[in-house]
Parts: sequence; C-alpha cells; structure tokens
Amino acid sequence: MFTRTDDKITTSQAVVFLTNTVLGAGILTMPRSITKAMQTPDAWIAILLGGLLIMPVILIMVKLCQQFPGQTIFQFSGRIIGHIPAKLVCLLLIFYFLVIGGFEIRVLAEVTLFFLLESTPMWAIVLPFIWAGTYLVSGGINAIARVYQVVFPITIFVLLLSYGVSLRLFDINHLRPVLGEGFLPIFAGLKSSILIYAGCEVVLTIVAFMQHPGQAVKAMLGGIAIPFGLYLLTAIVVIGGLSIDTVITSTWPTLDLIRSFEVTGFFVERLEFPLMVIWLMQMFCNFCSFFYQASLGISQLFKLSIQPVIFALVPVIFLSAMAAKSIQDIFAVGDAIGMMSIGLFLLVTVPLLLIWLLRKKGDQIHG
Amino acid sequence: MARCIRMLLLSCLMTLLLTSCWSSQEIENLALYSGLALDVGEPAPIEKEFEAKGATYPKQNKVMATVQIVPVKTIGTNSQKQQDQKKPYINISGSGDSILEIFRQFSIRLDQPIIGHHLKVIVVSAELLKQQPIGNVMDFLLRDNDIRPSTMVFVSQGSAKATMESNIASEVPSFHIMGMLRNRSRTSKVLKPVTLSRLDSLIYSERSFMLQNLVTGGEEVELSGAGIIKGSSGKWIGTLNQTDTQCLAWIRNEGTAGTIKVNEGNNNVITYELEDMKSKVTPKVDGDDISFHVELSTEGRIIEVWNDQAPSSSHLNEEEVSQLIKKQLKDMTEESIRKLQKKYQTDVAGFGNRLAIKYPSVWRKVKDRWDEVFSDSEVTFSYELQITDFGSFIED
Repeated sequence: MFTRTDDKITTSQAVVFLTNTVLGAGILTMPRSITKAMQTPDAWIAILLGGLLIMPVILIMVKLCQQFPGQTIFQFSGRIIGHIPAKLVCLLLIFYFLVIGGFEIRVLAEVTLFFLLESTPMWAIVLPFIWAGTYLVSGGINAIARVYQVVFPITIFVLLLSYGVSLRLFDINHLRPVLGEGFLPIFAGLKSSILIYAGCEVVLTIVAFMQHPGQAVKAMLGGIAIPFGLYLLTAIVVIGGLSIDTVITSTWPTLDLIRSFEVTGFFVERLEFPLMVIWLMQMFCNFCSFFYQASLGISQLFKLSIQPVIFALVPVIFLSAMAAKSIQDIFAVGDAIGMMSIGLFLLVTVPLLLIWLLRKKGDQIHG
Repeated sequence: MARCIRMLLLSCLMTLLLTSCWSSQEIENLALYSGLALDVGEPAPIEKEFEAKGATYPKQNKVMATVQIVPVKTIGTNSQKQQDQKKPYINISGSGDSILEIFRQFSIRLDQPIIGHHLKVIVVSAELLKQQPIGNVMDFLLRDNDIRPSTMVFVSQGSAKATMESNIASEVPSFHIMGMLRNRSRTSKVLKPVTLSRLDSLIYSERSFMLQNLVTGGEEVELSGAGIIKGSSGKWIGTLNQTDTQCLAWIRNEGTAGTIKVNEGNNNVITYELEDMKSKVTPKVDGDDISFHVELSTEGRIIEVWNDQAPSSSHLNEEEVSQLIKKQLKDMTEESIRKLQKKYQTDVAGFGNRLAIKYPSVWRKVKDRWDEVFSDSEVTFSYELQITDFGSFIED
C-alpha cells in the first residue's frame, strides 16, 4: 500500500471514518437507556425512528460543508457569521469534542476495570490509550482513516459473531407485544435513540478532506447507516435475549447478554472477553476521532501548527477522562453530551446554513 | 539531533506498554468455586468450634453459604493413588448476614482467595427462601462482576449443602448437576434452566416463577419437581411434583420429550413416548372475565405394553389407546392447574405472558394482582394426539 502525503481520504475511508466515530461505547449501554425511558420492548421502533431523524441531520451538515469545498467548519464559519462569533461557536465545538473524547476513553477504562483488570489503577489504563492515540492522531487524517479501515472489519465481525451465538437465548416473546402501550413510549425513547449518534458532528470537518467531495452525501449517509443498522440489531438481539426486565437493571446489557451463556466446545467458551477486548479498539477509534477533531479545530482556528497542539491537548483529554467520580457521573456526562450534540446542531449547524443561504440569496439579488 | 531525542523519548514511553498484565493472578494461586449452596443461617460445625474459642464477629446468622472449591492443584497433577483417596472438591461453609461478608470471612480461613469466574450452580434451600425473599438472597450474586449471569439457579428441598456432596470419587457435584440438565432431551420433568440473568428479570418484574427442585438421598441428587416462588413476596410457597412439572413445561411449550403412562386394570400398562409436544395458549377476554384455552398437541409412539392376556390376542386398537392416553393427560393437566389455582394461587405456567402479549391493555389493569386474577380464571384444555407407530411391532 502506498503512503499518501496529501491529507485526503477516499470515499470508502470516509464511510468507515464516520462509522468508527459514532459507533462505540453507546452499543454497550444503549438497550438500557432506551428501554428505561420506554418501559416497553419497542426499543427497536424508537431506533428506527431515531435513524430516520438522524439522516436529514447528516444531510444538512453535508450540504453546508459542500458550499465550501476543501474547508472545515473551523475555516468556513468565519466567512458566514464573522470572525468573533465564529471563534465562539468553534470553541464550543472544540470543547464538545474534548468532553466526548474524554468520555469515550473513560468508558473504555471503566469497562476494562470492571470486567477485565480489576485492580489496575484507572490512569494506567487511560494513559497508554491516550499516548497511542496521540501517536495515531499526529499521523494525520490519512493515517487515522487507514487504521479505521483495518479495525472496522475485525470489530464488526466479532460483534456479529457474538450476536449470532447469542441467538440461542433469543425469544421472540420478549419483544412482544409490539406497541402494546401505543406510540407514546416511542417518543419517550426517541431522545435516547438520537443521543446514540452523538459525535456525528465530525461530518462538518471530514467532508473537507474527501478526495471526491461530490460523493459526500452518499458517503456520510452510508457512514451513519452502518451504526444505525447495528444499533437496530443490538436492540433486537439484546432485548429478545434478555427481556426488558433484565435490560433495565443491567449496567452493561449488551455485555450481560454475552455473559448469559457459555459455548461449550467452542474455541472460546466465553465470548465476552474477545468481544470486550476487540470492542476496546472500537472505542479507541472513537476517541482518536474526537482527539483529532479537537486538535484540528484549535490549530485551524488559531493558525497553529497541529503537532504541538496535539501534545498540548494530551493533559486536557486526560483530565476530561478522569473528571467523573463515579459511574453515575459518567452516565450523566454521557447524557450531557447527547444534549450538547442536539444543541450544537440546532444552535450551530442549522443557523449557519440558514444564514449562508440568506446571504447567498441576498448576493444574487443585489449582485 | 532532535529526531534522535524524539526516538529516545518514544522508546522510554514504549517501556510503559511492556508492563502488560497489571492485575494478573496465577490460576494456581486461586480457589475457583464452581458451586454455591445457600442454607438457613446457623453456624457450621467447624464454625461452632471457632466460636467456642471466641473467634467470631458481630452477626445474626441470617444465611449459611457453602462454596465448592475445585482445587486446581489436585486435578491432573497428582498421581492416580492420591486421587482415589481424595475427593476432587472441598466444601467450606460459613454463616453470617451478608454473602460477601461470608466470602471475605473465608479469606481468613483459606490460603487462597476465592474467585467466582467459574461458578456454575447455585442451590438455595427452600427453608431459607421461606424466611428471606429471593431478591435479598441473590442480590450480591446478581451484582457481582466475577459471577457470570449464565450461572444456573436451583432450589433444594432440605439442605442445600447436601446437594454439594457426592459419594462418587473423582466427581464434582456441581458439575454433576450441570450435566443432569442436559437430559432435558429425554424428559420434560427437567425445567428450562433459570440462569441468573433470567432470575434477574423474574425478580424485577415481581412475577411468580418456578425453580428446578433438587432432592437428595444417600448422597445422590435428583431433579424432582419445582419450587414455587411467589412474586409478590419473593418467598418460597411450595413444591410441585414431577408430573405437574412435566405438564407445566408442556403448557409453557418448553418440553421436548417425555413419557405418558396409563395404568389400566390391575396389571396392564401402556407407555406412550412423546416425540413432539406443543402447546398453544389462547387468552380470551370477555368484559372482566379472563379465560384461557390451552391446546396441547403431541406426536409419539406406543413403546411399551404390559398385558394380562397372551401377546397374540392383545392387538391394540389405535383409537382406544389414544382415548386412554388423552384421559390420562387430561387428569394430569387438570390436576396441575387445579393445584396452581387453588392450592398455591400463583401463575407459574406463563398464562400472564400470553395475556400481556395478546391484550396489553387488559394486562396493564390486572398485572399487579395477577396471581389472584389467574386463580379465578377459567382454563380449558383440548388435546390432540397422534400415534405415529407402535415401535417395531405392527398393530392395527
């Protein structure tokens, strides 16, 4: 494979980039968060609806970016709303990326501590991952995208394998009655089913790096469709396998599903360990995405070289990961991230696009 | 130069990655337990001796926990002679008020830390479940991160500790119990195993349920019938016998095989082997009246016939035999349902689930007092029986 020196990614790399950014810790907790809000086994319907809602969101982001070929939001927002407001908006976005980056790495450490390495100190898990991430991120978007291309098929294979074997617990009656309580619970679950796409804001920058920006719509919709499909599958398999009563009380329902059976005679009897170890890579990818976005934002916003920025952000990410005191705090941060994600979309993306369209129209009339 | 320094720094950092297994523990130094028995709290004999010498701590003895440790040391490494003398497991009991505290108490009695990654079987005595709700007893086991949710849960008539004993050398009783579950392919008297993850949902939803019952005799264990746990109190209220268990497994559509035997006259026996058993439960709602219709259907063969008359003149009439078996089946199932509705007043046969699926709005109204509502519901049966063959004999 040849090494590219320009910072461009192919269409398929862009798809995987978005998938690996969105798909991460959410899959481990999502069945619980949605079911808890709904109290019915209809989580999959909420996810279907959530997916339908997220598609236009992605579309709007892509359309906005396509107005400024080759430029990221950190570069073009100034041209829309002026330099000072743009700086504020971008700082908000950077702050968001730092929080979510820290969150991903913290969840990674939390799962590892609880199930794999009980007496290892938190920092000893967090730090190596941050360092490895630093190394990867300093290689630029091309290096990141190529790592994602390697990781993606492995993680998805192990995930699907685990789900496949877990079908022995699957009972369709756990998913019934469908819409037994009507449509109302669906709306209660809708919030949680949109929050799982938090992080899709990376669309605002990766479109600029695409070799063929014309294919951006296809690529980004494809990139969000993969997590969407896997979320749907997860909800069906986990709730069908465990029933909603178990899912509601379980901290990590997806892992508990895999822990609920033993495959005697298979080359590994317990699939949760391979799944967890492999899924760490996926969460690492998430983290790298956000780390990269944050460093890119700062470097473009303040016209700094990206390498020192990356190193300067290491302690910030570390603090952001270690700030939460308990698992309750972490889930609270997770919820806050989801709300921020919605807020950013409503306060940043939509206004930016509207203002740009208005100005363009104005230019046409006056021009 | 700068590049040189950077490489040097990087290689220093790399050493951090080499530490690898921070929390590694050698398996030889761990006491893996494969079985856990929970009994009514009273000091175990050894503990009494300890306590007589003042070796005790403040406790009320609510529960006695017995763990079955499978020492890695003895398996495979020792010579044949030693294995013959020594049982391949160690049972250690302690009593106290919290299961974790009892486990930690084992740490001052054993030379190795006990570890629950390989727990397979949990047996709780019915006596304990009479005193304590199952939610309390199982709470730690459901929360712990070592114990897998795939662990099977049983209830024992009599001492649970006794189920963890075996007189067969080189056999670990907890593995033995696990193995017995595989016989579900031969009989439907063995219930679909309740794992910790299923138990979690059963406890959380506060519905009544059955746990496979274990009976011991002469250091042998039998899977016999089912213990009923009342959902509202979480306590054990009684045992269903083997026939009831078979019927309920059938109604719940969880059975795969079994036999129906008809005693006819003084010495005539006809045995029907179930090759296929299905059930379809249809709830009916009429105003406030809830009733259920159960269609049981089966295919099977007549596999054993004892007859007073000479074999040559003992031709079986398919229609007659089928009526005999149906009648036997009717007696069995009606008796089981009568027991559930009148004696125990609980629904452990899954009728509530069917209602919840078919009529969610009705279910919402009655679910908090479902056991009582069920006891007053009418349950009707219809049977469909298909005799496929008479073994390798030809009858007409």
